[in-house]
Amino acid sequence: MTTNLVIAPVLVALVTAITCILVRFAPRVQRTCSLVGVVAYSATTFALLARVWPANTLAYQVGNWRAPYGITLVADPLSGFMLTMTAVVAPLTLVYSVRHLKAPGQRVSYHTLFHFLLVGSTGAFLTGDLFNLFVWFEVTLMASYGLVAFYSGRDGTLAATRYVVLNLVGSSLMLLAVGGLYGVTGTLNMADMARWLAAASPAEATPVLGLSLLLLAVFGLKAGLVPFQWWVPSAYAAAPAPAAAMLAGVAKKVGVYAVIRVGFVVFAAADPTFTLGGLAGDLLAAYGPVLFALAGASILVGGLAALDRPTFEETLAYSSIGQVGFIVLPLAVAAAVPDLRTVGVAAALVYALNHALAKPLLFLVGGLVEDAAGTTELDVLGGLAGRSPTLAGAFLVGGLSLVGIPPLAGFFGKLLVFRAAALGDATVALAVAVAGAVLTIAYVSRTWNRAFWGERTDVVASMGALDPVRLAVVVALAGCIVAVGVGFGPVYGFAEAAGHVATGPGRDAYVRAVLGGGVA
Amino acid sequence: MTTVILRTITRLVLPLGFVVSFAFFLQGHNLPGGGFIAGVLTASVVALAYLAYGLDVVEEDVFGREVETAVEHVQHGVVRDYQTLYAAGLAVAVAGGLAAMLYGYLTDTTIPFMTQTFRYATVPLFGHIELASAVVFDLGVYAVVVGALLTIISVVGAE
Repeated sequence: MTTNLVIAPVLVALVTAITCILVRFAPRVQRTCSLVGVVAYSATTFALLARVWPANTLAYQVGNWRAPYGITLVADPLSGFMLTMTAVVAPLTLVYSVRHLKAPGQRVSYHTLFHFLLVGSTGAFLTGDLFNLFVWFEVTLMASYGLVAFYSGRDGTLAATRYVVLNLVGSSLMLLAVGGLYGVTGTLNMADMARWLAAASPAEATPVLGLSLLLLAVFGLKAGLVPFQWWVPSAYAAAPAPAAAMLAGVAKKVGVYAVIRVGFVVFAAADPTFTLGGLAGDLLAAYGPVLFALAGASILVGGLAALDRPTFEETLAYSSIGQVGFIVLPLAVAAAVPDLRTVGVAAALVYALNHALAKPLLFLVGGLVEDAAGTTELDVLGGLAGRSPTLAGAFLVGGLSLVGIPPLAGFFGKLLVFRAAALGDATVALAVAVAGAVLTIAYVSRTWNRAFWGERTDVVASMGALDPVRLAVVVALAGCIVAVGVGFGPVYGFAEAAGHVATGPGRDAYVRAVLGGGVA
Repeated sequence: MTTVILRTITRLVLPLGFVVSFAFFLQGHNLPGGGFIAGVLTASVVALAYLAYGLDVVEEDVFGREVETAVEHVQHGVVRDYQTLYAAGLAVAVAGGLAAMLYGYLTDTTIPFMTQTFRYATVPLFGHIELASAVVFDLGVYAVVVGALLTIISVVGAE
């Protein structure tokens, strides 16, 4: 049963983006269109979620061309989980942006770029085709370039140049890998590729290993994992606060999602007798150590670097490197231990959800502080808690969620990451995770102590009033974090359903839904 | 750059380029060619005119508008029209895809986005020709490519 609802979120965002260009000379109309568009986007996404819940897979053949020849969109719990995350963060961020950015900036490009960012990430979450994944990545990146360079100036241009150059290299490598995979498997449709891999002999499938690892490196670059983290701090610090919130909350998750979708759904389908240098197991077993190295290094580098950053945003940017490490760590365990696929993917998704809510919240708090105080230097801030208890409360919820204090979303995120590591007997992973958790406590409490507690400094004392709308957005995000933590049952149920696609039966269901019975 | 040779050649090549790009555009949905390549060709022909006659040639000689300064040229002049052209192109391309969904809704069936169809028609002089709905999408692509490339060429060229 095909339904146009599957493509609706992409179309809504695309139409909104185009409308925003066409009405760019009427700023008010443009703002209204943009806000209406993002609300419609969330509405259609939740409608789609209602169809996918609790564990349905809907395939959509664009242009009525049958898979694997046409372009397929697939909405399954995994996509649904990521989309819902986006649909919560995007409207809040956009409302904040409308109040945060000056009118000329909004008029020229912001709304269009914002919606194209949504188009790109939504498309990436929905696509069932490897080449289209590349295309949606590019759409996301094009919009991100604009958002990073938004304030232009020296910092913005430098950050954007760095970002563009790294991602151009990444994109060319990705294109190379996708082309190679097409050469080896003869298909670009993910479901069809999974089926080919399941039927292929180990010898036939060997070239896929190298190509898939190349893809993994590119996804690591998009997700900002060490050693590809160079672009992250400058890009997040240079972008306007709400744009940084979207980049950290949504765009970064596209890389993580791609690792799960392509690694755990497609490549894991290969014959399980695959061996490589003593690592027995399926193709994913080779992913295990690589993912672990990336995740472990990210957690440590991000956490350590975040300890002594001079400003609010830079602390958050480095923290985001470490937090993505936490998202990928359970994936590494799951890759190495096939029995833990569902648990590991579910843990990664829950952690991603936590990060997607907490990090935008913190970036937006930073934006408010910068706007009111004119600076986010931790040295000159102090006593913000007494100045605005609401803002401090929201920061505390976000910060504690990063740390992992019950009953916030982050507690379950950390718990599941530790559980995956413990179940997989991965002592080193567990140790790294504990070290990372301690580092998180350290940099969150440092930021809290410096900016919110202590003597009220001159800068804070002379600070203007905080915008109530933006404050409300921040509080709403804090509310989401509490809500996810308190009502965690259904969230985990859905994450588990999403993780199920990484198992044999789940993959079969996915392939059946896309290819319809399996005849090519 | 603006020698007599270049100007003369440009005057010769300009109409040829437009005709060829139009042919590419028309046959593109099922033969070599297409909205993208036609758009690139059109944009290159205009870029050639820019090279031979200067950046104000479109603004002054085609639209008959006065250009005050370079900044004016980028912010208000023809560049603004180019931007509208690519926005309109995007809109046309998406609308072409949405039309299929609308048709499905009106006829109570589910037709996916971007579904295309075609009919044959007999027209005097041309005979038996194919009318494909994909041309609408191609037209959108053509406008996007021409608009975007000329925006880039004009803005970067002015600097």
